[in-house]
This record gives sequence, structure tokens and C-alpha cells, in this order.
Amino acid sequence: MRFQIQYLFKYFFKILPYLKVTIEYAGLSLLFGLIFGSILATFKLQKNKVLKYFGVVYTAIFRSVPPVVLLFLVYYGLPQLVLNLFGIDIQNEEKILYVIITISILSMVSLSEVIRSAYISIDKGQYEAAISTGLLPVQAMIRIVIPQMIYVALPSIGNIVIYLIKEGSLGFTIGLVDVFGKANSLNQNSYSNYILEIYVALALIYWFSSIILERALKLIEKRVSFGR
Amino acid sequence: MLELKNVKKSFGKNKILKGVDINVNKGDVVVILGPSGSGKTTLLRTINFLERADSGTMIFDGKTYDMKKAGKKDVNFIRKNTAFVFQNYCLFNNKTVLQNVTEGLIVGRKVPKAEAEEKARAALEKVGMLEYADYYPSKLSGGMQQRVGIARAVAVSPDIILFDEPTSALDPELVGDVLKVIKKLAKEDITMIVVTHEMSFAEDVANKVIFMADGVVVEEGTPDEIFYRPKEERTKQFLSRIIPMDNYVI
Repeated sequence: MRFQIQYLFKYFFKILPYLKVTIEYAGLSLLFGLIFGSILATFKLQKNKVLKYFGVVYTAIFRSVPPVVLLFLVYYGLPQLVLNLFGIDIQNEEKILYVIITISILSMVSLSEVIRSAYISIDKGQYEAAISTGLLPVQAMIRIVIPQMIYVALPSIGNIVIYLIKEGSLGFTIGLVDVFGKANSLNQNSYSNYILEIYVALALIYWFSSIILERALKLIEKRVSFGR
Repeated sequence: MLELKNVKKSFGKNKILKGVDINVNKGDVVVILGPSGSGKTTLLRTINFLERADSGTMIFDGKTYDMKKAGKKDVNFIRKNTAFVFQNYCLFNNKTVLQNVTEGLIVGRKVPKAEAEEKARAALEKVGMLEYADYYPSKLSGGMQQRVGIARAVAVSPDIILFDEPTSALDPELVGDVLKVIKKLAKEDITMIVVTHEMSFAEDVANKVIFMADGVVVEEGTPDEIFYRPKEERTKQFLSRIIPMDNYVI
């Protein structure tokens, strides 16, 4: 069958609105990933053996599970667990919830590593200089250390975001309708007659999102580069 | 004004300070000399609680503190009234030169911004760095960064400034500028403790020299006494190793 460019455009604009779903799970997963990833990173930086061990084991377990397996475990396992533990039925919650939980767990692991190495890369002397000039330890972290950590961590965080956008496409396996889920159902409804047009359109959407994301990162990077 | 009694500190099994006493009066310029590993830097860091002493007493501004148990408030108080100049400058890389100096005033001491900037500019003027006020540290040479480090210490008008080998990370040609600045401060009767290997500087500026080795104070006295008439064998040994024989009578 000939590739028909007008169908490419048609499907492009049919799929595009569902980018909203993708942005939603990517954004929320990043947020939760950053929050829990910071906590996990602090665990790993502790001298306390129990906390440190917890961080290391958690990382080892979740880094080795394929994303799709984890998604199934969360989707099928979590409702039962919650029902047994708290007696709450979450079976009918929206599917995006399970995707967000899964990607948060996954991104939390990589983000914790990024945050940990960013922290180590900042010379401890600056923190000492800050507290010796009269700042409280928490002020020294917020005003001096963390802004510099952001600069160091930003490129890796950008990679992780692109990665978790792609991982989220696995959501179609549990019936989530994001850009990938939509493309998939459009393909089935048209009996695979326009399969190339549909998936090229989808690839373009992923491609454009990546470009926009990279631009945004460059802008943020400029803001936190401090003359470098 | 600052007195330390029987300060002890170990890192693991390694005893770094084995009971050090020092006494600093207002306006004193105290230079601490000694071979590396003698505990000079650790001693200086315990004063600012960057290192927590295992035991020891500090009398500061007439108040007595247990150096092991001092609480957060006391520690913050002592830090606010002392200033530290680091060997490797430790400027805040995310702040401009001016912000490096105002940070301790505005955030640490709640000084209004305009007043803080005025003080910061005066301090930068003193170290000859005012024209670089808007630069980020990454654009400055080591000597310039250290002068900003000194301005950051001076600006908060501390009771005492602690210098931890302020010139030992610098290229030889930059050392002079930094020493000149410290000398200028010494003439203004600012109290300071300087850990350094610059002997001629110590002789010029110090009114008291403390020689430390192996975690104890071996000998202390005026520069004259220490450099020309040292009593202890250990001091003589150290000086003979770093000072050319024909310049000094040992």
C-alpha cells in the first residue's frame, strides 16, 4: 500500500490531544520521583547502616525488574494488597494511577542515583563556609548546595524524563489511552490499513516533545549556570 | 578573649589533638606553625565547630562552653562571631562576589540588604576586589578568590578571624597579594589566628607564634623567641628544615 501523507496529518492531529495524558503521568512521576528519590538519596548518603542498606537494596531490586513486569505487579497486585491491608477497593481507580505509581517507583531509583552523585560533586567546603558565616545548616543546603546540585543533575534529569515518557507508553498494556494507546486503537479500528502513517505520526509526536523538552532544559540550565 | 583548654580530638584511632591549650587576647595576631599532620588545621576547625572536639573547654567573650556538648544555639552564636578563611577559598559558586560577602550578613544576621551591600562593598574595597563585585567566582584567579574569601570574613565584623593556610593553594606569584591584605588587617587590630607556612610573614605580623607537633603545643612565644631562640629540640628541628641556615641563627 502506498504511504499517504494526508493520512499522516490526519492521524497526527487525532493522536496529539492525548499528549495531555502523557504529560500528566510524566510530570507527576517526575515530581514523585524527585521527592522520594531525594529521600532515597539521603538514605544512601547516611552513615547509619540500616538506612544505607535499605537504599542500596531498594535500588538493586527495582533496577533489575523490567518496567512492564513492574507495571503488571502494580496493576494486578496493588489493589489486592490495599484491599487486604486497609479494606479499600481501588480496583476501579483510573488506569493512569497505576502507570504513575510504576514510573515513580522506577524513576525514583535513577533519580536517587543522580541526586546522590550531584550532592557528592559539590565541594563540602562551600557548605562549611556557609555555616561558618552564620547560616543555619538548612539555609546552607537550600541557598548554596542545592542550586549547584541542580546544575550538575539537570542533564541527567532530562534524560530520565525522556526515558519515563517512553516507559509510560507501556501503559497501553493495561489499557491506558495515552498517545501510544490512542495510536494503537486507531490502528486496530482501521484494520492496520494505515499502520505506517499512524506510527510515523506517533513517532513525530514523541520526537517533537523531546525537542521541546530539550529546549526547556537548555533554558533552565542557562539560569542555573552561574557564569560558567 | 578566646581561650581553649585541653582540646582533644581523634579520628577513629588516630589521635589528632592530644590536649591543646591556647590563649588569644584582643588584637592578637597568633600564628600557628607546625609540620603537616600536627593538628593545626583541626584545632582551627574545632574553634568554629566545623569539627566537633571530643573534649575541651572554650572561653569566648567571657562565656564558657563545653566544646563537646555545646548546643545548636551556642554553636551558631560562636560561628556568627568568628569567621573562617579556607585554604581552598570555598566561595559560593552560585553567588556573585558581592553576594558571597552579603550572604552571611543578610541571611545569617538579618542585616537589611542596602546596609549589607554597603558593608560588603567596603570589605571588598579593603581587599582590592570591589571592581569584581558582579563576577562569579569561576571567573576569578585563586588569589582573587581568596581575597574575596577574606572580604567575606571581614564584612561580618567578627571578634576573631581564623585563617587556615590561606596561601598554600595559591600560585607563588599570587601569594604576596593575599599576604599583603592579611597584613593590612593585622595593622587594624583585628584579632586573628593564622595557620601558615609563610615564615617571613609570621615574623613580620605575628605577636605570638605557637609551634605545634603531634597534636600538642610544643612551644609558644614571640616570633623572636621562636625563630631565633627556640628552646625545644623539636622546634629547632622543624625550623632548620624549612628556613635556610644562613638567614637564621639556630
